[in-house]
Amino acid sequence: MKNLKVLLIEDDMIEVMKLGRATSSLNLNHKIIEANNGEEALKLLEEKDKLPDIILLDLNMPKINGIEFLKILKADDRLKYIPTIILTTSNNQRDLLECYKIGVAGYVLKPLKYEDYVSKIEKLLGYWSINELITV
Amino acid sequence: MSQEEVDILKRTLARERASRKAAEEILEAKSAELYELNQKLEASHKELTTLYSKTNSQLQGVFENIADAYVIMDLWGNVLKMNQAATDLLGFNAKKEDINLMNLVREDEVSRVAPSFKRLLEKGSITDFKVNIKTKNSEQKLVHINASTIYEDGRAVAAQGIVRDITLENKYQQALVAEKQKYGNIIANMNLGLVEVNNNDEILMVNQSFEEMSGYTEEELLGKKGGDVFQADKDNDVIKRENEKRIKGESNSYELKVKNKSGDIRYWLISGAPNYDLKGNTIGSIGIHLDITELKNLEFQKEKLLQKLEKSNEELQEYAHIVSHDLKSPLRSIDALISWLKEDNKDTLDDVSLRNIGLIETTLEKMEQLISDILNYSSVASDNTESEPVNTHLLVEDLLKILYIPEQINIKLINPLPVVNGDKTKLQQVFQNLISNAVKFNDKEKGYVEIGAKEDGKYYRFSIKDNGIGIEPQFHEKVFKIFHSLNKSKDSTGIGLSLVKKIINLHDGKIWLESKPGEGTTFYFTLKK
Repeated sequence: MKNLKVLLIEDDMIEVMKLGRATSSLNLNHKIIEANNGEEALKLLEEKDKLPDIILLDLNMPKINGIEFLKILKADDRLKYIPTIILTTSNNQRDLLECYKIGVAGYVLKPLKYEDYVSKIEKLLGYWSINELITV
Repeated sequence: MSQEEVDILKRTLARERASRKAAEEILEAKSAELYELNQKLEASHKELTTLYSKTNSQLQGVFENIADAYVIMDLWGNVLKMNQAATDLLGFNAKKEDINLMNLVREDEVSRVAPSFKRLLEKGSITDFKVNIKTKNSEQKLVHINASTIYEDGRAVAAQGIVRDITLENKYQQALVAEKQKYGNIIANMNLGLVEVNNNDEILMVNQSFEEMSGYTEEELLGKKGGDVFQADKDNDVIKRENEKRIKGESNSYELKVKNKSGDIRYWLISGAPNYDLKGNTIGSIGIHLDITELKNLEFQKEKLLQKLEKSNEELQEYAHIVSHDLKSPLRSIDALISWLKEDNKDTLDDVSLRNIGLIETTLEKMEQLISDILNYSSVASDNTESEPVNTHLLVEDLLKILYIPEQINIKLINPLPVVNGDKTKLQQVFQNLISNAVKFNDKEKGYVEIGAKEDGKYYRFSIKDNGIGIEPQFHEKVFKIFHSLNKSKDSTGIGLSLVKKIINLHDGKIWLESKPGEGTTFYFTLKK
């Protein structure tokens, strides 16, 4: 298992804490980079040599929302290769359809129970850490 | 007497004999000729007699058999002879009684008859004379008479006439006139615009209502093409198409957007039918115009409202999603924070605190469920219900694999469930809600749930029967109303059954229940075949 560089795009402070605490309680050594919104994330992604392995993306965010961010990402020749997994509370069918249409590597619903959340995150990160990833 | 004398006498005698013989011969020949002539005459006479009697009987036959009444009278109106038809018509028989035709004329007509009678005698004939008469049976009749005078040696001796009963014909005609007047009145007074056009669509006639409708007078419209004058969007070839249909003899009805004289846009419903001449040729058409502008405006208003409603429905749904997301997110945060509190202080927290924390968690779950249910309920309202064949049997079987069924409860399908048209996801919600309710509210040691379906006319009637706690009669209606949960518990938000009802209604079905408290409940619902 290799350690991943994960970009978490999330405006909710507690959600950021949740991912941090979950990975540490799971003893995972993935590197988590945080961006509080899409704009901030795009700025981070400008540094082409420091691109993340995967992106965890929340949909409901101020300014550029998740879907808009996804469109920008997928329109970019380099960034479009980064697997992007939606992490959201919204199971709106329209959102789901739109996300898969634009191109996502996964769509994970945030469960109510924290312990369920930890279990989902473990599986998610576990899966991507055994995947072969490309760097463009 | 000398020999000479004797000879002379002999010769004379001989000559006389010869000449007498010759005369006799001539006589004989003549007499034969005469006989022959006589024979011929006799034959031709016979022929003539036959011919005469034949013609006579023919005439008699005509006289007897013509359908019209035929009467011969003397110059004073006394009937000399009449045929059967005349007897039938007048009710008299000339052979048995004397009749004077003048006596049959209705009192008020007598003054009119005298001059005509005079004319008949003077001019020799009258034609198309109509008069009201009274028959022997006191029937009033209108008759039509053609008569001519009969002459003998250049002197008028009698008159013959053909009498036709036109009472009925006249009645028909009167009825026709009345009818015509009736329709004329209807046309004049009805609120419908009437337009008659020829085959070139040129206006021949309009009624008053049409003048009012269009703002034009009849004079302004005569000879004009309706399409040119009125049609608001000229690109539309509806008039041309419909007129072609009419020329082919089809009646039709169509809506047209028009501009009246003052330039206002109106909508007319035009019903047209081809117009024929007496020979059956199409000579144009007649169109009835109804101003449906008000109706049309209402329709447009409705469409607009519907669009608006659709949009606001959509917005509402979006809103529901956003709100539910926004409401759910804090719940997740609280749950995470609580579990961290628990984790970080697991050595210091006492039992009471732990129990309270547990209660917070339960409350969170209930809140989560409530939000999900409300979202579900509002989603069902949206009209994007898909309709496809759904095998409810497979659907329920799949559902039973997912649902949590406690061991003491036995669920069975009592007969094969049908395929219905509907939205699979929504129908699944129906079964899921009803089955989990049946399972949830079962207090028996050996519980059962029986799922079945029956044909019921155009519908399938599904039933889900349990031996659970049952529902008091006063709640049979109430359970389907939103937020009317009968049992306040952590996994009951009071939305489930109202959601079910909403889905069933969306599928044009009905839902109801039968129940005995303590013994069990059967939910019935119908879905269209």
